[in-house]
Amino acid sequence: MAPVEAGGRGNALYLRRSLRSGQNEVFEGDVMLVGDVNQGAEVIAGGDAIVFGTLRGMVHAGYPDNRDAIVIALNLMPLQLRIGPFIARADEGQNPRRVPRPEVARVKDERIVIEPYQGKL
Amino acid sequence: MSGRAIVITSGKGGVGKTTTTANIGLGLAKHDRKVALVDADIGLRNLDIIMGLENRIVYHLVDVVRGRCQVRQALVKDKRFPHLSMLPASQIDQKDSVTPEQMKDLVTQLKEDFDFVLIDCPAGIEQGFRNAVAGADEAIVVTTPDVSPVRDADRVIGLLQNSMGDPQLIINRMAMDMVKRGDMLNQQDVLDILAVRLLGIVPDDEEVVIAGNRGAPVVLNEHSRSGKAYERIVRRILGEDIPIPELNGHGGLMHRLGKMLFRR
Repeated sequence: MAPVEAGGRGNALYLRRSLRSGQNEVFEGDVMLVGDVNQGAEVIAGGDAIVFGTLRGMVHAGYPDNRDAIVIALNLMPLQLRIGPFIARADEGQNPRRVPRPEVARVKDERIVIEPYQGKL
Repeated sequence: MSGRAIVITSGKGGVGKTTTTANIGLGLAKHDRKVALVDADIGLRNLDIIMGLENRIVYHLVDVVRGRCQVRQALVKDKRFPHLSMLPASQIDQKDSVTPEQMKDLVTQLKEDFDFVLIDCPAGIEQGFRNAVAGADEAIVVTTPDVSPVRDADRVIGLLQNSMGDPQLIINRMAMDMVKRGDMLNQQDVLDILAVRLLGIVPDDEEVVIAGNRGAPVVLNEHSRSGKAYERIVRRILGEDIPIPELNGHGGLMHRLGKMLFRR
């Protein structure tokens, strides 16, 4: 799969369904999914990955080495997240409960960071 | 007559498929429906034990498929309800001794004589699963409220949706005190992930184990909590609108786990 510039024009895959465990989508451009990505499901995108739902599974944005790609989800709770050559794992420790809110993941200073998404990048 | 063929499946083993099959089967028979139970777990026969019918088996499913006997010869009549029968699995054959086409023919034949054909599916998603699903019109997915059975149920639901539309869900062995403490997934946690219609919740109840070992499934015991839960499930299958009690407690396990990445 050839690398594609994230956020480029006219090369996106729009999906209106959930991905269940064992299901996957691989696309060379950006992926927009309206639904959930469950644990055990995978999305691999050459560009950005937007999940309009709960992300519990594995998303690799910017595959294989595009570090400008971003991941946005309404409820971002993956066990592992990959952007380009970077991998972030969920903390092992327990965290206080929280109300779901949209978040964006991107690469800053050579690591993946997650911030609230408030309609601006 | 053309009955409803329902496969009871789960992906994961040990979550209570066979117990569920036996209880729903007996429950439907209590409501005067003609029911055939098919044990599709070839090589690991169990349904006969739960039903307390192991000493009555003469022929089995593989004998029928191979033409060694007629279906009616292999059907074992229940000792409590004459209109309830069980088609036992073979204990010595392999899963691949039957094909999905043969299962489909068998189930179609049973549907002519019974109101309900309940198919007890083996664990896994390989040949045994494909056989069990082949003849079914509907599916019931059984899970316990634990992380790994829920993931396997999710996988199975994805596979079922390719062939027959949305299955219904039974959450088995719900331990209310654990849910209240936040140590177990609650009803809402499970439904958030699986997003299918909930057919019922069966509480964690040692009566189920005792009843299974005695070969007298718990639905026959009208005083047990789990027996009542199965009775409600049966009535929902028959089309009655019986609300499902909310069993959520204070925030389930998902809230507490809330696994996160590096957050600022």
